[in-house]
Amino acid sequence: MDIIMQIEGMGVSYADKTVLSDITVDIYKNSITALIGPSGCGKTTFIKSLNLLVEDEKDGAVKGSILLEGTDARKIPREKLRSKLGMVFQNPAPFPLSIQENMTYAPRYHGVRDKESLGQIAKRKLEVAGLYDEVSHCLDMPARKLSGGQQQRLCIARALTVEPSVLLLDEPCSALDIQNTAKIEAMLKELSRDYSIVIVTHNLAQARRIADYTMFMMSGELVEFGRTSQVFSSPKDERTRQYIEGVFG
Amino acid sequence: MDRRRKYKEIIIWSILSAAITFAVAFFIIGYIMLKGSRTISAEFLLDSPKGFPLGSSGGVYPAIIGSLAFTGVACAVASLLAVSTAVYLKFYCTSRRLYNVIRLVIESTAGMPSIVLGLFGYTLFVLKLGFGVSVLSGGLVLGIMIFPFIEVRVEKRLGEIEQDMLLSSYALGVSRYYTIKRLVLREALADIISSVALAGGFAMGATAPIILTGAVIYAKAPESIMSPAMALSYHLYVLVGEGAPLEYVYGTATVLVMLILAINGAAMLIGRMKRGE
Repeated sequence: MDIIMQIEGMGVSYADKTVLSDITVDIYKNSITALIGPSGCGKTTFIKSLNLLVEDEKDGAVKGSILLEGTDARKIPREKLRSKLGMVFQNPAPFPLSIQENMTYAPRYHGVRDKESLGQIAKRKLEVAGLYDEVSHCLDMPARKLSGGQQQRLCIARALTVEPSVLLLDEPCSALDIQNTAKIEAMLKELSRDYSIVIVTHNLAQARRIADYTMFMMSGELVEFGRTSQVFSSPKDERTRQYIEGVFG
Repeated sequence: MDRRRKYKEIIIWSILSAAITFAVAFFIIGYIMLKGSRTISAEFLLDSPKGFPLGSSGGVYPAIIGSLAFTGVACAVASLLAVSTAVYLKFYCTSRRLYNVIRLVIESTAGMPSIVLGLFGYTLFVLKLGFGVSVLSGGLVLGIMIFPFIEVRVEKRLGEIEQDMLLSSYALGVSRYYTIKRLVLREALADIISSVALAGGFAMGATAPIILTGAVIYAKAPESIMSPAMALSYHLYVLVGEGAPLEYVYGTATVLVMLILAINGAAMLIGRMKRGE
């Protein structure tokens, strides 16, 4: 399988505090990589450093090498890098705009002006996120009036409007019920045909259900990376085994 | 048991202080309005002051318009300055030291006696910059006076903006400037408007800053911001000083209080409407 991102010796720190150290891992194209590990092990920081969002936060710094499709991420203009790596956060964060405006916010910024094209983008991405049928009659409604599950799907759809090649998701289902979680999981499976997905999850069963690859992190270090079936059935590291069996975490 | 008594005392004391505050406010406003309501008429609201001493007959129309003009200029100037400062401090200022210096300036401005601000405005705007005694000079001084009031509120509001929303926007490859323009200011708009309106009420009641810079004893309703104007607050001061009939004094005070209450009411309504969205 092709590799889309190569991360080598990556470390992250905030001021003097080291949060991640020496992470080396490959992200495979058109696959889902799940990132598991106990709370506070740096999972969220990991995905926030892939698009260098950490550097936008106070005192955040990323070192080491991150290659996106063979190109050094630092050499790609920040705005372009960000649009290559779509990101969805734990809590749905719809903008204080209408559903339609949420969907056209980024394309408009990136230069799409024509109303018809904007409408097309919005429609297509909402369809991909399985939300279009539910909201097609009320696109002008404030996005915050949607239910939690719908908001999260809107955020995923919104992340797709900039045509990313990688989708980074930070526990997108943690605030959702079973039905909405199932919808999102099915959608992610579908999306992984066209996108490479990295998903942080607390839910081991979810990782096992949807991920092709799994990486296990602890205390800011990458402990194990491999095919999901291998990581769950025959982990190489004792700590991984213990975490999966629920000894801690 | 002892603890319970203490709680009880605290509760009684809170209710009592609330009641006293409410009673004082109610009494002042009620008393002024009761005394002034007999004077309020269409003529009083729409006519110019007449008689001797000036204001012992006629109305306060030019002073109403003047007060609105001073307040308008003040709000425009102060809101622009305050919102930009707040955005800078919250989103762009990376040096702790610079932040502290700016904070210090804002707090010092807030603590400045209004007559000193008036003198400063007289020297700078009226004399040095040649704006003369005008709505512009007076409005600018009032603007400086209410600037800290708006800045502090707006900055606090900007600090409450959800971090995930900002990061989501940056993560879409959108610049900070665009994010602020399209999301942050929009999110905070209701609170910005209501802080500006509250500050406007404060500016409208102020007298000292405009005595030397913009307000005059008699003028027609101002035709441009370069002309001097009457103001309700200063008119009230003059009426009392010259021993004009009390009903006119209370009438003027009533109009002033009603205008300020209306502005504050509108501010609250805007805030509530937006939050209830």
